[in-house]
Amino acid sequence: MPTRKSGPRQPRQRIEREQATPASVPRRATAEAAAATAPAKALQRNPLFPVGVSLYPLDTETQGPDDWYERDLSEDLAALAEARCALVRIFVSWRVLEPQVGQYSEEALAKLASLVADARAKKMQTVVCLFADDRHADLTDVGWGKKRDPRTDSYLLQREVALAQKVVSHLRSDSGVFAWQLGNEAFLSGFESAEALEAWVNALREAIREIDPKRPIGLGADAETLYRATGVDATDVLAANEFAVSHLTAAYRAYAAEGPLTSGPSTYLDAFLLRNAHRGRPVLLDEVGVLALDHSAAEEAAYVRNVLWSGLMNRAAGVMLRRYRDMDTERREPYFLDPFETLVGVADSEGLPKPVFSEIARFVRTVARIDLKSHALIAERTAVVVPSERFDPLPSLAGLYDPRACLQAFIIAKQAHVPVTVVREDDDFGEYLVLVVPSAFKLRDETWERLGAFVQGGGTLLMSYGGGDAPAATRDLFGVEFLGDAGPRSRLSCRVAQADILGALESFDARFDVPNHALLSGGTATIVATDAKGSPLLTVNQVGQGRAVFVAVPLERAIAQGDPWATPRPVSHLAREVYGAVARGAGCGAPVLCRAPEVEVALFQGEADDVLVLLNHAPEKVDADLECDRRVASIADVRGGAPVAVGGKAFTVPLEANGATALRVTYA
Amino acid sequence: MSPRGRQVLLAEGLARQGHVAPAVEACYEALRLDEGDPLVHTLLSDLFLAGDFYDEAIAAASRAIELDADCAPAYLSLGLAYDRRGGMWDQSILVWHELAEVVPDLVTAHVQLGEAFAAAAFEEEAIEAWKKALELDAHEARAMYNLAVAALKKEGMATALPGFRKAGELDPSQDDFFFALAGVYDDGTPAPDPIDVPPDRDSRLAAAFALAFEEDFFSAVDLIRLILDDNPDDPEALALAGYLYLKQEAVNEAMAVALRALAVSTKTPTAVYVLGAAFAKRPGLNRNAARVFGALAKAVPNQPMPHVLLAESLLGLQRYGQAKQAYLRAVELDPTFVRARFGLAAVLLTEGEYALAHHEIRRAAYHDTRRQGLFWQLYDVYAEARE
Repeated sequence: MPTRKSGPRQPRQRIEREQATPASVPRRATAEAAAATAPAKALQRNPLFPVGVSLYPLDTETQGPDDWYERDLSEDLAALAEARCALVRIFVSWRVLEPQVGQYSEEALAKLASLVADARAKKMQTVVCLFADDRHADLTDVGWGKKRDPRTDSYLLQREVALAQKVVSHLRSDSGVFAWQLGNEAFLSGFESAEALEAWVNALREAIREIDPKRPIGLGADAETLYRATGVDATDVLAANEFAVSHLTAAYRAYAAEGPLTSGPSTYLDAFLLRNAHRGRPVLLDEVGVLALDHSAAEEAAYVRNVLWSGLMNRAAGVMLRRYRDMDTERREPYFLDPFETLVGVADSEGLPKPVFSEIARFVRTVARIDLKSHALIAERTAVVVPSERFDPLPSLAGLYDPRACLQAFIIAKQAHVPVTVVREDDDFGEYLVLVVPSAFKLRDETWERLGAFVQGGGTLLMSYGGGDAPAATRDLFGVEFLGDAGPRSRLSCRVAQADILGALESFDARFDVPNHALLSGGTATIVATDAKGSPLLTVNQVGQGRAVFVAVPLERAIAQGDPWATPRPVSHLAREVYGAVARGAGCGAPVLCRAPEVEVALFQGEADDVLVLLNHAPEKVDADLECDRRVASIADVRGGAPVAVGGKAFTVPLEANGATALRVTYA
Repeated sequence: MSPRGRQVLLAEGLARQGHVAPAVEACYEALRLDEGDPLVHTLLSDLFLAGDFYDEAIAAASRAIELDADCAPAYLSLGLAYDRRGGMWDQSILVWHELAEVVPDLVTAHVQLGEAFAAAAFEEEAIEAWKKALELDAHEARAMYNLAVAALKKEGMATALPGFRKAGELDPSQDDFFFALAGVYDDGTPAPDPIDVPPDRDSRLAAAFALAFEEDFFSAVDLIRLILDDNPDDPEALALAGYLYLKQEAVNEAMAVALRALAVSTKTPTAVYVLGAAFAKRPGLNRNAARVFGALAKAVPNQPMPHVLLAESLLGLQRYGQAKQAYLRAVELDPTFVRARFGLAAVLLTEGEYALAHHEIRRAAYHDTRRQGLFWQLYDVYAEARE
């Protein structure tokens, strides 16, 4: 075809495309309407839910620090682009970039820029991590640093500021940079006080802001896991950043939910940390992936699938996988697992994708079909309150027990299909209708006042006894007289006195260790259930506009401290029923009733249709019997396919073991 | 010679009673008085371990060992903490080796050493360790379970199943179940002397059960004989006779007697148990055993043992899915049931669920060591030796 390369360009008349008349959004959608409202063309990826992977600088243990990003990453980036990943993270090596004081390696800076450019060329953005410790490449170990601590040494801090400014100014104009990350948890775990961390963060933030005033800056630490590892509470420091991250470490998993990855509490742990980190800012669900090669490829895939969907269902701003290629380690066994070492990726050491990589690609493709601009998750009006005593040092055991009890409360709420989040004792309770205080030993005096006002104002408080003396507020708020702690018991008995006040409760006797048992006598409260001897087990008290529900045993702590994989069925049923009924009574219950407790449900509400996401937390197939409060016209897989007419409120969705599905639901 | 201070004794007392939080406080108080007391650090490590706080337990036990390298209970806590923490097999192996050196006749150290080896994929070393444990105590059920699991990994269920059965027989809970069916419990009252038993059927039967419970089988047999002389169709006496035959490995006789008892009265759960147990002991009768134990599981659904017995029969029939359900039910009824945990691990291994199987084995080890009260035995010996 004749053409020309240069010369003045002639104005051309654009061919008008026939404008498709926008389909009026049907208020009463039908099965046909469902097909019409589905996006005509699939997006490559969902811009509001990016998924990415960290690219570490070394591939094998035989490499040294100077081999920083020696291998060409084009192949890896191409594979990630094909899987429609949107983000990659790369790690700056201070050691390589500044081999001598004040002398920067232009070659290394160029390599860094070329990595960002390569990713950009493949339509991915980059998170640049400035000060990381990957346990292999000695990224922050500058030879001239004389082994001084780069976290606290004032001279090294100056050099870090200079390096950060050098890197940021070098990459500032590149649109491929998505965000700056100041450090990773392995590096940040070296801080011994919140003050030192704050000073370090402030210095680096100011340095970056002088050059790049807009790009988001994050810290790369999860406040909860960092506190567990170091005893440093970084909450306030993290609040100063534009985005937060949540991630699970090996140590935290062993502490909070050791055991199988694909069943029980560990399948909820990432979501719990995500909610815990969510303090009004976007949270990147970070470092997702298994920590060791203890698990089969199928288990790895099932686990990552679970976390990816959990992230979507629990308001993550995106997900970063832990590593692309497996680290090729030296052959040695047994192998000590360094809690911060990152060895396991989504592809093997040769770059061949593992099954988990297919999971990522499938997830990205599915999420691309959910319009997160027009569909939003139902607001969570139920919150699990993490008591401030959680930060008390030993010998108080509250700091050890409380996070587990809170995780368990979160799980019970999820199993009751109640939209739930996590708040701290000193947070504002204003936006919630139900507060759950699980098995706390003590709350602050001012918190009792705030809880009293919360209930008076129409809120519902669900509290389980934590042990020890009950505060004076118990009498006014819960309407019961506290007579003492009966101590540990190896059986839990429940005799239902008032049916249907708190769900469909059943009387039972179960072998179940409870560490404490509050002896109560009746007051103004309605006794819903008692133990075998007639002491109140479950009470409801009407206070002002609201209700205060009291459970006389530390139910959540007992489940967490026992064997969470083998909680007696009547006990878990009791917990679920109470949580579900309390939320229902407050008007913030399950948006969709589901008869399978192991299935997590999230409803993204839209104008014409909703998107229902289901995630099976069990390693077995499940048929999820669902019931909506409206007549459902049709359901369809968000990825496409013909809608299935329902014509009623109830329908069943089969889910594979650890499977997830996203359905477009239209209503009649 | 360093006698235990009052604060240490207080902490000890609280810990023995299971009052974890006050015990931890008392330990910290004791440490304020003497930071260098390994006993207190050891106590703390066990208290943290009781709460599954592994990192804290590791720190406390390590400190105790730093202070006294012969502190055997601290090695126990440290090894258990490493095992249950996961991913720390090399340290775990070292600790169990150390404990086996400090207390050479401690069977559990060898069992745990084997489990640490197995977790680190050193199967041969693991088998050696379990064999050593069985040399020290031929009745060590957990070593036998582990050997059965090793056989399962190597050669399959057919080879492993006798091992599981043998381990089950070493496990006293099966006998306890038989007596629970008969309504016999350990209430601290000794069995009567057979000469003093009144000559009526009920007294004789009760005494026979009590004597059998105390493993005085010959006296029990004498009383049963007297009952059966009066009434050869007494189903409960026949069932107990069947049990006593079983204890003497007379399986055919046990089977015949149990069948006779059930012919007289089908509502004799003890006879049902004896019949099932007899079937289970004979190769090729798994189907019959499964039917009998299935009926027993329905009759006493809240007892974990019949579910386990049913599951073991189902394993013999290679009906792993059903066996898994039965094991899960047993674990749900009693999470501390070591036999159910090991059985479940076996099923999971046949399904290729290695990580889940090792989790079950770890939980079994956890419950077994707690049940044994091993920490307090080692602690008392160590504390007395110091004084």
